[in-house]
Amino acid sequence: MFLTPVALVMALLVFFPLVQGIAFSFTDMNQYNMGNAFSEPSYQFVGLENYRNVWADLVAADSTLRPILVQTAIWTFVNVFFHFTIGLGLALLLNRPIRGRTVYRLLLLVPWAVPSFISALAWRWMFNGSYGFFNLVLTELGLPPINWLGDPFWAMVAVIMTNVWLGVPFMMVTLLGGLQSIPRSLYEAAEIDGAGRWKQFWHITLPMLKPVATVATLLGIIWTFNMFNVIYLVTQGGPVQATEILVTFAYREAFQNWNFGMASTYGVIILSILLVLSAVYLRAMKAERVEGVMD
Amino acid sequence: MKRVRLGLRFALVVLLLISLLAGCGGPGSQPTGQPNEGQASGKPVKITFWNTMRDYEAAVVQELINEFEKQNPDIDVEMVTVPFGEAQNKFKVAAQAGNAPDVLRAEVAWIAEFAALGFLEPLDEKFTDQEDFLPSALAYGKWNGKTYAVPQVTDALALLYNKKLLAQAGFHRAPETWDEFVQVAKKLTDPSKDQWGFYMRQSEAYFTLPFIWSFGGGLIDVETMKPLINTEGAIKGLEFVKKLRDEYKVFKDDRDFPNDYNTAMQYFKSGKAAMILNGPWATADILTGEAFKDNPDNLGIAPIPQGPEGHTGSPVGGHSYVIYSKSPHKEEAWKLVQFLSTKEAQAKLVLELGLLPTRKSVYEMPEVKANRIITDFKAVMENATPRPVFPQGGLIFAAMDQNFQAFYTGKKTAKEAVEAIVKEWEKLGVKP
Repeated sequence: MFLTPVALVMALLVFFPLVQGIAFSFTDMNQYNMGNAFSEPSYQFVGLENYRNVWADLVAADSTLRPILVQTAIWTFVNVFFHFTIGLGLALLLNRPIRGRTVYRLLLLVPWAVPSFISALAWRWMFNGSYGFFNLVLTELGLPPINWLGDPFWAMVAVIMTNVWLGVPFMMVTLLGGLQSIPRSLYEAAEIDGAGRWKQFWHITLPMLKPVATVATLLGIIWTFNMFNVIYLVTQGGPVQATEILVTFAYREAFQNWNFGMASTYGVIILSILLVLSAVYLRAMKAERVEGVMD
Repeated sequence: MKRVRLGLRFALVVLLLISLLAGCGGPGSQPTGQPNEGQASGKPVKITFWNTMRDYEAAVVQELINEFEKQNPDIDVEMVTVPFGEAQNKFKVAAQAGNAPDVLRAEVAWIAEFAALGFLEPLDEKFTDQEDFLPSALAYGKWNGKTYAVPQVTDALALLYNKKLLAQAGFHRAPETWDEFVQVAKKLTDPSKDQWGFYMRQSEAYFTLPFIWSFGGGLIDVETMKPLINTEGAIKGLEFVKKLRDEYKVFKDDRDFPNDYNTAMQYFKSGKAAMILNGPWATADILTGEAFKDNPDNLGIAPIPQGPEGHTGSPVGGHSYVIYSKSPHKEEAWKLVQFLSTKEAQAKLVLELGLLPTRKSVYEMPEVKANRIITDFKAVMENATPRPVFPQGGLIFAAMDQNFQAFYTGKKTAKEAVEAIVKEWEKLGVKP
């Protein structure tokens, strides 16, 4: 009874678009047959054809999708790795009683407060081969300039640098919150027992941080996997699709080629990958926790 | 205990904030097509006009609109400036939903697609003085035997050059063939001083098209839908650009794709590149550069050099006014388009902004004739080439950009690149 409004809102906001999106992936919908305010839609049900096309592309010798999947994996893993390690490092530093702690915390939040598209455009200019900040510094130091956005490897480095900068503050703040919820008494007890700083970190901080860290990295994985702005604005997926990830690829299919059927198919694939990834990740974390010292 | 709760609360607030922020962002903000008010009330009819010009350009259009409103007190025009890069998608979304603006300034490559989707009002009956317009600009507005657009401005890529730098090297006119171009560019290049004869944009296929055409290649023959991009001429054109870069070394190989428009302009404006390819829209900006601001005449504007067989070519671009087919105020919308397209209105627009008019009679006006930039570009327009007009005409560049970039980075040979383009174009109806 009390749940009815919630269920209704959920149905309207979540399930209806979701089901519709999945349904579109079985059609040949495009801008000519999608219908509009003045004409009836005329797209056809095509069964699994879109999925067959994806599969055919995936196994083809000159596949476009395979390198994009690999790039998406690299992009997600490297980003979340640096988000977590740098974020944890900064959180540990800021958790100590130092003077002006609030100021540091606020300053470190800046990247997160600036709209990501503005940051992305600024970074793109800093990567400029002739006039960019990074190459000016490199040449000042007597090093050869780097072809940041024209070279497939460096372009990936560039977008990852941008996104790490954008993502660290969230991880830092969340982990800081987690750190502060660890009771001091545990450390005091450990100190009496003669545990050193490293032991304390390993046996108290990390296990106690785990619930927060698990959720934060999972969110990080999902966001990074779907991070559109940075890639699209810094490299546009280039050079020659070397930094394209699944979402930017799906976006092109939808809003450049206007093939909604195919784009929905990619959407369903992205959703499935993330669901599987989340399930595996959460299970792994849970399993480890059961074996862990704290429980 | 208190500390625990504080920490948790902090984390929770942060999480909440994030989910809120994530929900707000995104490219999903809907365009705001103004609903039209009823006419019966005696209030002025309100029509919406989406303009895609930059702010300083839109200001001139606004002056024209103010004049129009004074002459037509029963019509109230609301001009909305929509960023050029978003306008095509925004208009499509709004038109599907039934609330597109009454008038849109459309890039020429969009018109056939919008017309094929049924979004544009045919103008043949009203648009009666078509013979005064340049045929190349008019051609983009025709689809299936009907006319859907009134050309506003036209453009084409020209060879822009720094007269002073060329003269210092002993050249007193622009190169007329690519052979001459190589000589000039070589003489003006000194990599140790970061001084270059040319700056080539390798990111966008549009800027490679002059090479394709002048070596005898093409894009698509729209009559038969056969590709011309995989012909020998097109391949030779591509290979020539690479030769300029790798053999003659007359332009900097920075392949800085996302930045190269700005970098090209920067090099040319500061006199570090002697020649670039660009269109009339760039002239106002170029004249603010240190190499030109004290002496605007230093900017040379010349047609694209000729290839070995005497061919040349440059993509005709431009913008036109179109009227939304479901607009409830088509009469008023047409009045506005007509007003903005008069000889006088066009002359004001192009003279203040250094753009190219689409009316032949405007080119004959003494004040226009006295404008060197417009007259120099007129010579370029005479040899320019229209792009293929068909509904997917606006989509042919995606495959070209990708594959030309692959060619310039060495991932594909010219032949592999053009074959890959044809394969992609098959999805757009090209028959290999």
